[in-house]
Amino acid sequence: MSKIRRLAVVMSAVAALMTGATAAAADGAALFKAKTCWSCHGKDAKTPLMPFYPSLAGQNAEYMFNQMKDIKSGARSNGNTAAMKGVMGLVNEEEMRVIADWLATLQ
Amino acid sequence: MSLKSMVTGLTAAVAISLSFGVNAADTSSWSKDTVSGETDQAMHLEPDLENGRDIFEVCSACHMPEGWGMTDGTFPQLAGQHRPVLIKQLADIRALNRDNPTMYPFALPESIGDEQALADVTAYIEKLPMNPENGKGEWAEGTPEFEQGKKLYADNCVRCHGDHGEGNKEKFYPRIEGQHYAYMLRQFEWIRDGKRRNANPDMVDQIKNFTDKDMKMVINYVSRVLVDKKDLAPSANWTNPDFD
Repeated sequence: MSKIRRLAVVMSAVAALMTGATAAAADGAALFKAKTCWSCHGKDAKTPLMPFYPSLAGQNAEYMFNQMKDIKSGARSNGNTAAMKGVMGLVNEEEMRVIADWLATLQ
Repeated sequence: MSLKSMVTGLTAAVAISLSFGVNAADTSSWSKDTVSGETDQAMHLEPDLENGRDIFEVCSACHMPEGWGMTDGTFPQLAGQHRPVLIKQLADIRALNRDNPTMYPFALPESIGDEQALADVTAYIEKLPMNPENGKGEWAEGTPEFEQGKKLYADNCVRCHGDHGEGNKEKFYPRIEGQHYAYMLRQFEWIRDGKRRNANPDMVDQIKNFTDKDMKMVINYVSRVLVDKKDLAPSANWTNPDFD
């Protein structure tokens, strides 16, 4: 493979990654609204409807992903989970991952 | 945080946790609840549509700006529902007479306001045009399941919910035509099994022998009843101009 062609391949791979990252951020924000997460957690993800609902902006992604998964499956059913379980039918694990990753990037 | 808001918060937290566990059927006081103070008061207030629109913004985060809910049934369509039905359900949810942990905090006076707010927002919702493409069950007209559902409807439901699911405004019977299949199925099951505590005891009794298949067939039929065009939005792409 010529150097130029190799460079082109690398460049387009980088471009694809960058587009991918931007798309994920846009998807995260869009999903946060479309799946109605923001109704309770606040449009900025840190102004929750009730004082005892968690602020999510900047929270650990893995932690949030696990909570979403466990609330959906019923593995976690204490506290305020009853308020959230009913809407979790709207969200699959792939979407949970995108939402969690995006929320973790917020300040 | 003030002591008052802490107390409110704690009470709500307890209510949200408790409301999940309560499932005892207690429908003995249907008529008393139907005319509960707040429902009755809100019914007799002059609604302010402008304020109703502003309050509806809170509701629209889940029920959508068009009031159509979601066709998968996660949230019901509210558009076009009878005002007394909307008032009663809101009053029941915030009085913890209908368990709805997701909606409960939104229904609190701190979130949407007093009886006047109930009067206002329900007047706004009632006038919204309905989704012309509601979520439907799997059996098209002509299938045996559709026909059986139609028969079950005629034998069990028509007396209160009407020929085409129009309900009865004066009696707090909901309009069920045009509602999403999965939402109705869930409510029907909860009513049959005693989980929906504010259900009409006559209905609980009427449907107590329905099998799961009966339930699916009758709700499939209702989800496929054609709603009068004058009550529908021109297309499923319609967006509510009151919200940008």
